Amino acid sequence: MLLGIDVGGTFTDAVIVSGAKILAQAKVVTTHGNLMYGLLAALDKVLVGLDIRRLDRVALSTTIVTNAVVEGKTDRVGLLLMPGPGMDITKLVPIEPYILSGYIDHRGREVVKPSSSEVEDVCRQLSGTDVFAVAGKFAVRNPRGEQAVGEQLARLAVPAYVTFGSTVSGTLNFWRRVNSAYYNSAVWRHFGRFAFAVRQALADRGVVAPVYVLKADGGTLPLEAAEDYPVEAVFTGPAASVLGIMALAAPEGEAVTLDIGGTTTDIALWKDGLPLFAERGAVINGYPTSVRSFWLNSVGIGGDSFVRWEEGLLVVGPMRKGPPMAVGGPVPTVADAMIVAGVTAFGDRDKAWAAMRQLAVNGEETKGLACQVLTAAAEKIVQAVKRMIEARAAEPVYRVEDIVYSKILEPKSVVGVGGAACGLAPLVAKGLGVSASVPEGAMVANAVGAAVAKPTLAITLRADTERRYFTVAELGLQNELKERRFLLADALEAANGYLARRASIAGISIDEVETVYAEEFNLVRGFQTVGKIITCQQQIKPGVFTRVSMREDI
Amino acid sequence: MEAKPFGLVFFPAFDWSISPTHPEREERLLYTRDQISEEGLLDIPGIREYKPRLAKVADAERVHIGVPDIKSLITDAHLVSAGGAITAAEALMRGEVERAFALVRPPGHHAMRVVHGARGFCTINIEAIMVEYLRRFHGVGRVAIVDTDVHHGDGTQDIYYHDPDTLFISFHQDGRTLYPGSGFTDEAGSPQALGTTVNLPLPPGTTDEGMHYVLDNLVLPMLDEFAPDIIINSAGQDNHYSDPLASMAVTAQGYARLAEKLKADIAVLEGGYSIEDALPYVNTGIILAMAGLDYSRVVEPDVERAPRHTAKTAAYIEKLVLEQYALWCKRQELSHKAVLKSGDYWQRQRSIYYDSSDIGERQLENLRLCPECQGFMTVATEAEGGDSGYKSAFAAVIPRQPCGACRRQAKDAVLAAKRKGGFQHYIIQDKENDFMERL
Ligand SMILES: [Zn+2]
Ligand SMILES: [Zn+2]
Repeated sequence: MLLGIDVGGTFTDAVIVSGAKILAQAKVVTTHGNLMYGLLAALDKVLVGLDIRRLDRVALSTTIVTNAVVEGKTDRVGLLLMPGPGMDITKLVPIEPYILSGYIDHRGREVVKPSSSEVEDVCRQLSGTDVFAVAGKFAVRNPRGEQAVGEQLARLAVPAYVTFGSTVSGTLNFWRRVNSAYYNSAVWRHFGRFAFAVRQALADRGVVAPVYVLKADGGTLPLEAAEDYPVEAVFTGPAASVLGIMALAAPEGEAVTLDIGGTTTDIALWKDGLPLFAERGAVINGYPTSVRSFWLNSVGIGGDSFVRWEEGLLVVGPMRKGPPMAVGGPVPTVADAMIVAGVTAFGDRDKAWAAMRQLAVNGEETKGLACQVLTAAAEKIVQAVKRMIEARAAEPVYRVEDIVYSKILEPKSVVGVGGAACGLAPLVAKGLGVSASVPEGAMVANAVGAAVAKPTLAITLRADTERRYFTVAELGLQNELKERRFLLADALEAANGYLARRASIAGISIDEVETVYAEEFNLVRGFQTVGKIITCQQQIKPGVFTRVSMREDI
Repeated sequence: MEAKPFGLVFFPAFDWSISPTHPEREERLLYTRDQISEEGLLDIPGIREYKPRLAKVADAERVHIGVPDIKSLITDAHLVSAGGAITAAEALMRGEVERAFALVRPPGHHAMRVVHGARGFCTINIEAIMVEYLRRFHGVGRVAIVDTDVHHGDGTQDIYYHDPDTLFISFHQDGRTLYPGSGFTDEAGSPQALGTTVNLPLPPGTTDEGMHYVLDNLVLPMLDEFAPDIIINSAGQDNHYSDPLASMAVTAQGYARLAEKLKADIAVLEGGYSIEDALPYVNTGIILAMAGLDYSRVVEPDVERAPRHTAKTAAYIEKLVLEQYALWCKRQELSHKAVLKSGDYWQRQRSIYYDSSDIGERQLENLRLCPECQGFMTVATEAEGGDSGYKSAFAAVIPRQPCGACRRQAKDAVLAAKRKGGFQHYIIQDKENDFMERL
């Protein structure tokens, strides 16, 4: 039995998945003061009558990290940077950093060592601070500078936690790694308290199954491992939803999936049956980070979207003025139109009809007007989908072949989940000229996604056969390259080995590995090929343990 | 943030090389890509990255006369690189960006009007293709091209040698000491366009100070006076002190400050082969400067080894600037005299060597000095060597706004040549109707 809990903005959902079926589900109101109350209430409710000893895993998708950032429940972080030459990012990071000399160049050569007197000086200025983030430019190609500063911090400042930029991501982008490292340290203590509370609450209930946390990339990590990288657990709601769709509907080939909630619709594009990832990473509080996440676009259309006339045009969203009139809200909404159109049933049907009649200022036929509202709402989503497809086609590529043979994404189906999916997803599909489906269980897709999401981890290996060394950034490794002949295939094999090592440290097993990117360049000096630079990133393929359907008797 | 972002078309062509160990190989912009990615430049709100489009062969034939044709001489990479320059220009014309940089390869400034193969790593001239695209589709008239590559931009010079609406300024290491061995001060344009080609050969060892002296005291005043609709920078980076193919002493700061002062609407990458020690820093500097951002921290790790400015170079450069400025001021008078001296036609006979393809070309240009228009011209060309053996063509070029007589005579000249025989191909490049006709 797999238990999944999704703490959303409005509701906290829990499901039990067993043998590819949803065995039980529970819904409670999210408790915003302390998420734990709602989380535990949902947990207790879903476990009623079940044998907790049969639980194989508990997986949580929570807003704990997102909320900590938004609500400023973050720690004061000592941010130490070694930017070397280049753009000045002092004003582009969340807090005033301490700039240290010392830097690594693009080939991973340590050009200037960090200065220990500067670190001593920073430690004096930062007395009382016990969480730090240390990041150096090109440290993913040589972590020694960051590590030297870390060792000195450990002696002088006795830190509770230090995040190193090169271990949060092995990919180039100093600015993003700095922001990731900062937020990781900023939420570290808050997340630790949450993890402690979760462990204690589960122990109190006699739950011994391992606890996992969902990440923005749609994978899970054991709670212990997640405590080192809490920033990865930001924005898990949309990731849970995408995973839920994978479990409930398994879209094939190229597809569009929609999570249509109260005020927004989250759109994801799929290729080869997998959701597309954001090109570089998630944006947290306006700061770009290296946190891998799905590529999602939010459009301001949902069940609660305010519907009105503006200059003779029917306008839907993006604002919400309250719940639908059918449940006592103040203004006509998309959900009222859905009730009148007969695609859903909840609340007071008469109030929904009254909402549409209130909108029929030109004497329109009520049901016809409701359909018009839904078409207008769907059209906004269709336009957003088309913009995403265009944006995807406009994404720069760096090879001639990729320009000449570029192919535009052509989704063949629309899958919708969320409260307003049944009303809008078919109309969006019609607008795109493709088929639609709204899987059963769509209302608890997020919790299902959390329950069945596989663990993920990535590793980046870069070998420089001329300089005869290789780095594995996420593990903080820089080793001598012993093999004389080292090709991309060797790099991939070595990377798989380090991925296995990292997985075993984190306490997870590897199912299927995929290559995120791989490149190989010949180094030529003086008309002689003197070596190769090979870079590859391998990851445990994100996915679900099992497809899930509703139990027949629910 | 500024109202309009800066546009960057980055295309390192990671799957294209002239040959595996050639300076124009896959690796050339690898470290630049690394630096740009690592800095996070593509995430800055003030910088917008564009994917290059694929240019059409017709875009190249608006500029070039290929023998036997352009299509058989180029690869897709050339069309992407030319397309990248066009993409930058389109973003500017749509008003999406304040200025733009096509950081693309392969380069183009050694490609002349007639093309038999590749010279100086260039087959088609990507700046000229962009400029003619702008003229055809966006009504751009007066254009200034400032070539800051260390090599003389002989291809661009050749294409605009008879065009008084295009000011071509090239400063470069003296041709007596460097490929392609041209770009002397007396190459100043054909009679009707005299003075709109400006060559500034600089001594080896010229530093930031020297380059900026030329910029401040000559190039910028000339641009002010010429008042172009658009300024293009052929932004080669081989004046850098670490470049293996040249002997200058310019730094990343020098190049960035140049980009800041020049305020080019569009910059297009040309050469630059110090792929590790210069390009990552020079490109970062140019991008930040063009985007209006602080570039003061973009400094090469080994900048200490850059040679210093010497009194001797300073004196040479001051004298050069003084002489050239005097000529510039007298250009209309000089042009008038040259036209009177030449009569109705101006001829030029040349041998051109295609080093990258090992082809030798003999060429005879015959330009009508027409009082009504820019004048039509004919080119008789014969080439030998390389993989394709002997090739020849006779072509006429009808200018953008020809008079009736020039249009007629251009066609008659090609027909007469064809009757007479002796060439393999007979071609009319009709710039008025944007059409390449093969007889
Ligand atoms: Zn050059
Ligand atoms: Zn004429």
